[in-house]
Amino acid sequence: MRGTLLLARAEIMRLRRNRRYMITTLAFPIVLYLLIAKSAKATVYGVDFAAYYMVAMATLGSFSAALTGNAIRIAQERKEGWVRQLRLTPLPANGYVVAKIIAAMAISVPSVVIVLLLGRFYGGVHLSIGAWITIAVVVWLGAMSFAALAIAIGYRLQPDQVQPIALLIYFVFLIIGGIFFPLKGFLQSIGNFTPTYEAVKIATDVAGGSSVNGGLIAGLVIWLAIFSGLAWLSVRAGAETV
Amino acid sequence: MSHSGTGPVVSFENVSKHYGSLKAVDGLNLDLRSGETVALLGPNGAGKSTSLDMLLALRKPTSGKIEMFGSDPYHAVQSGRVGAMLQSGGLMPEVTVLELVTLCTGLQPRPVPIATTLRRAGIESIADQRVDRLSGGQTQRVRFALAIVGECDLIVLDEPTTAMDVETRRRFWATMKEEVSEGKTLLFATHYLEEADQAADRILVINRGRLLADGTPAEIKARAGAKQMSFRLPNVNEPFLLGLPGVSSLDVRGEVVRIQTMDSDATLYALLDAGYRPSEIEVGSLGLEQAFLAITEEDDRAGAGASAGAPQEVRQS
Repeated sequence: MRGTLLLARAEIMRLRRNRRYMITTLAFPIVLYLLIAKSAKATVYGVDFAAYYMVAMATLGSFSAALTGNAIRIAQERKEGWVRQLRLTPLPANGYVVAKIIAAMAISVPSVVIVLLLGRFYGGVHLSIGAWITIAVVVWLGAMSFAALAIAIGYRLQPDQVQPIALLIYFVFLIIGGIFFPLKGFLQSIGNFTPTYEAVKIATDVAGGSSVNGGLIAGLVIWLAIFSGLAWLSVRAGAETV
Repeated sequence: MSHSGTGPVVSFENVSKHYGSLKAVDGLNLDLRSGETVALLGPNGAGKSTSLDMLLALRKPTSGKIEMFGSDPYHAVQSGRVGAMLQSGGLMPEVTVLELVTLCTGLQPRPVPIATTLRRAGIESIADQRVDRLSGGQTQRVRFALAIVGECDLIVLDEPTTAMDVETRRRFWATMKEEVSEGKTLLFATHYLEEADQAADRILVINRGRLLADGTPAEIKARAGAKQMSFRLPNVNEPFLLGLPGVSSLDVRGEVVRIQTMDSDATLYALLDAGYRPSEIEVGSLGLEQAFLAITEEDDRAGAGASAGAPQEVRQS
């Protein structure tokens, strides 16, 4: 485990240095929140727009961090032989994958925390301490399914295929998940099954003080199980071709 | 070399790796003993890289058994007793050389001081450079550094000096000698015959996934017909020359005759006894390259017919 943590630390250091990655995961949700949070006076999912948008942007940050950085890096590092090189060290066989997940989850913490702080001090959202912590944890842990998805894609596809496919999945899940604006009608009825919607809805229910639908939590867990299963299959299929 | 009582460092027991109908490795048997420097020599596609991949637990054999330090390859690699450098190994991008070496040193149960690794690999001057901005030769030196970050007992190198310039190659072998003198076992695949000849105290020749010859460089040369003899002789009778004792091959150009022979003395005496008086007689050793070609070509010809056949051990071990 010590080796895996060392590798995770190095991964975090790399990600922090990558400007494009930091812009999409950190700057993007922050700037969007500052621009849009106060532009509408409406009630969404039973809470003020500023509170909904805070939750949505925190979700955007954490899900972006989990998916976009890792998927393409894993595909590249497999192709270039870094994954192979690591297999020649005493690092356990699953160390690389575990380190990638730890790094993605760690790097998404600042965007979640900063957006929630903006919600409190810029958007004027007032909640109990317990609600703040619950929202942060839901939005953060909800992104774990995307961390698994990144591994499933990165291990399965060539680097030049990863970028468009990851972006497609990413935007579909963001848009029909109601991250940029809440959806209505048919699209919403599909969107209700996305992990992005589930994370946002659980968090807004907590913010609004209403009871959380158990089906939403089950939904997040099911997505995590599906993507983890795909990741496991991809890693296993790739074991002989590292 | 001491090959005392302890078991082999590495053993392949009837190991095969098939990809569909292609037999990349076909019933390979070999043992490496502690402290040996062994060259794995063979043409492209002979099965060198596949064999090393299986040894390092990157691929699983289709059949047969590989052991390293008495355990399976995966656990041997996990134990940190093996340092390896493969052609296909890559480096982590977006970090400096020093950060990468520090990371890989941290993964080792018995780490070598970082300064020592940097010095041995000759990368002190590029320690602060980004890994993804290095030249090909510099990259190769960093990959070499990663193979020696731990106090290992076996070093495995696949075509280590490809892409190295002359100075780097010289330095590389000097470092390897230092490592071997500490009692480490070294296994390297190469197609530079000169390198195998100079660095190795044992050469394994493989072709079409099978072990063809196993011996010291001198023994390998002897295996193919050790001597090359040339002389000038008018009115050559080719069948007669081929019938001389020891002769394995013959090349006649005009009056100039070249003969490969297992026993140059016997060949020459028989020629003289038959009444011939050749001029400009030269007798010399066959280079390793010619020996290697002779061995693999002979095997390729045999391979056109029936395939199997036990490797002929030259060395008495």
